[in-house]
Amino acid sequence: MTQMERRLRVSGILITLGLLVEALSFIRVHPLAFLGFMFIGGGLLAIGIAVYLYSLVSVPSPPEVT
Amino acid sequence: MLGPTGLLYILIGITIVLVATVALRPSLTATRGGKQLAFLVLFLMPLAVASLGAEEHMERSKQTDFCLSCHIMEPYGRSLHIDDRMYVPAAHFQNARVPRDEACYTCHTDYVMYGGIRAKLRGLRHVYMQYVGHAAPPLHLYNPYNNRECLHCHEGARSFEEGAVHGPLMESIKWNELSCLTSGCHDKVHDVAHLSELKFWEPKQR
Repeated sequence: MTQMERRLRVSGILITLGLLVEALSFIRVHPLAFLGFMFIGGGLLAIGIAVYLYSLVSVPSPPEVT
Repeated sequence: MLGPTGLLYILIGITIVLVATVALRPSLTATRGGKQLAFLVLFLMPLAVASLGAEEHMERSKQTDFCLSCHIMEPYGRSLHIDDRMYVPAAHFQNARVPRDEACYTCHTDYVMYGGIRAKLRGLRHVYMQYVGHAAPPLHLYNPYNNRECLHCHEGARSFEEGAVHGPLMESIKWNELSCLTSGCHDKVHDVAHLSELKFWEPKQR
């Protein structure tokens, strides 16, 4: 597995966890659900997206397969 | 019919499936189409979910249940059931003059530009005070209650503007010179200090 692929996997796992937390936050109408959505779910999503974007600019891309 | 939450769940489900596909088989991104898929599912779709989810949570934060889920607000929720039509919030709530599921927000938001945003920022501060700071009764409004919030619904109503009581005072009411709540006219509001002495309305179960 290349470095790019490893980072994509990490990013994917973080984003999946974030999405699961966000989905769970809709179960209840409660301020804690809102905080969970915003800080835990949003935080995981933000880190996952950042890892993906960082991998785009930091890892040299291999020749494209057509 | 699916509501906004149902649609969000569908979007989240689709996104999770696509993200998991990329995470389990990252070699897919070796092709141009794979790279485009990765950009879609690792960037655009999570952003869309986060934006729509935030909007949905903002809508939910208008709900009466949301406000009353904080312990300190419980007596204010009970005051909506006072069995006395002289109590303004209770009369509005019980007679459905405000939407019952958004009763707090309807009267306690500012009907000005960005008033909704300000109300939500105040709400965030309340959440902070509830879980991190120290919130203690009695609660006070940030500013004296503005007639504008009453007039948002009542202005233009014939029975209000042409009534023998309100009609002659209309200019003073509109210019906030005569407060609806503190000028002795409609001064019975939540009155949480005396709830134990009052009778309560029990809504009939449907």
